[in-house]
Amino acid sequence: MAEQGRYLYAVSRGLDGGSLRDVLGLSESVLECVEVRDLAGIVSSVDLDEYGEAGLRRNLERLDWLEDAARGHDAVVQAAAAVAPTAPMRLATIFLDDDGVRERLTAQYDAISAVLDRVEGHEEWSVKVLTLSPASITAEHETFSSGADYLRRRRDERDERRDDARDAQLVAERVHEALVTLAAGSRRLPPQDAKLTGHTGAMVHNGAYLVPVARSDDFAAAVGEQAAEHLEVVVDARGPWPPYSFAMLDDT
Amino acid sequence: MTETGGGGLANPRPAYAQAAYQDRPHPANLADILERVLDKGIIIAGDIRVNLLDIELLTVKIRLLVVSVDKAEEMGIDWWRHDPMLTVRERGLEEENQELRDRVEELESGGSKSSSSRQSGRGARSGQARG
Repeated sequence: MAEQGRYLYAVSRGLDGGSLRDVLGLSESVLECVEVRDLAGIVSSVDLDEYGEAGLRRNLERLDWLEDAARGHDAVVQAAAAVAPTAPMRLATIFLDDDGVRERLTAQYDAISAVLDRVEGHEEWSVKVLTLSPASITAEHETFSSGADYLRRRRDERDERRDDARDAQLVAERVHEALVTLAAGSRRLPPQDAKLTGHTGAMVHNGAYLVPVARSDDFAAAVGEQAAEHLEVVVDARGPWPPYSFAMLDDT
Repeated sequence: MTETGGGGLANPRPAYAQAAYQDRPHPANLADILERVLDKGIIIAGDIRVNLLDIELLTVKIRLLVVSVDKAEEMGIDWWRHDPMLTVRERGLEEENQELRDRVEELESGGSKSSSSRQSGRGARSGQARG
């Protein structure tokens, strides 16, 4: 059997280890907890052929591998966040053994605790604003009197799309302003590529909102209101996520 | 792809309404997951180290996938057009326009040699992609 390492998914506070009994880690590994005072590092064993330095260097380039790893990582984080305050680790945080995990959690105890203080009782929502699907493809049967005519038509279409995106940007600002008042924190993330999301409009806003669980319904209602008010764009809200976007150590 | 309909959100448009604001939708879209697990979350140094700088270089392609194509194009990065893993049929308007312009030029000059120069030109561009 190949050498094994310990993959650290997340750190939870006051976690009842038994509550993750039905959840599997990467490569269907068994989850275990490495405890440091009130913190529990959620770990499982991984094959170092796959997750060692050489393996990672190779595998991170493969989108199919990365997708499996990302979904597997996220599944564990989701499960933990559902039952205890949880700070997700970045993908592929790996130790040689539990002592390494313990040592690192001890060294970072205060910083991790501060993150948990910030996210406890909150969940993350992703709210995106997109332009309506562009009818951008010129119909095949369209005829053009000349190549220049064709180019002109294409350029006009592109300009129209640019104007739409600019208008949508203004709407997105209003949506953001309405939502941010209900959130404990917010971050603007880069717009995503349609090839990964399957959306057809242009993404003009990709916001992450840290929402107190107690205000979850209000937030959902506000999203609904914004969507109804701004029919000229698509307002897409998804969640709840574990607080990934708000679980950064202060010094990173 | 967009005509899926239904859903609990007040927004009546089909594109996303069905997926919007559901309780914990699964599977979440890949871009959402990648932008969170690769770019967010706590960074602490593990024992297995792919030098963080290396990781950033290695995942720069993936990061670019999460960032919009328009932004990447603004930066002059277009490697995905030539990456077999990611090759898609649709192409950017800019490139299409450029090709059309090239073609017009070619026709006007009455020559056919520019098809090869066009190819080498694009090859040079793709060579600039970093990562």
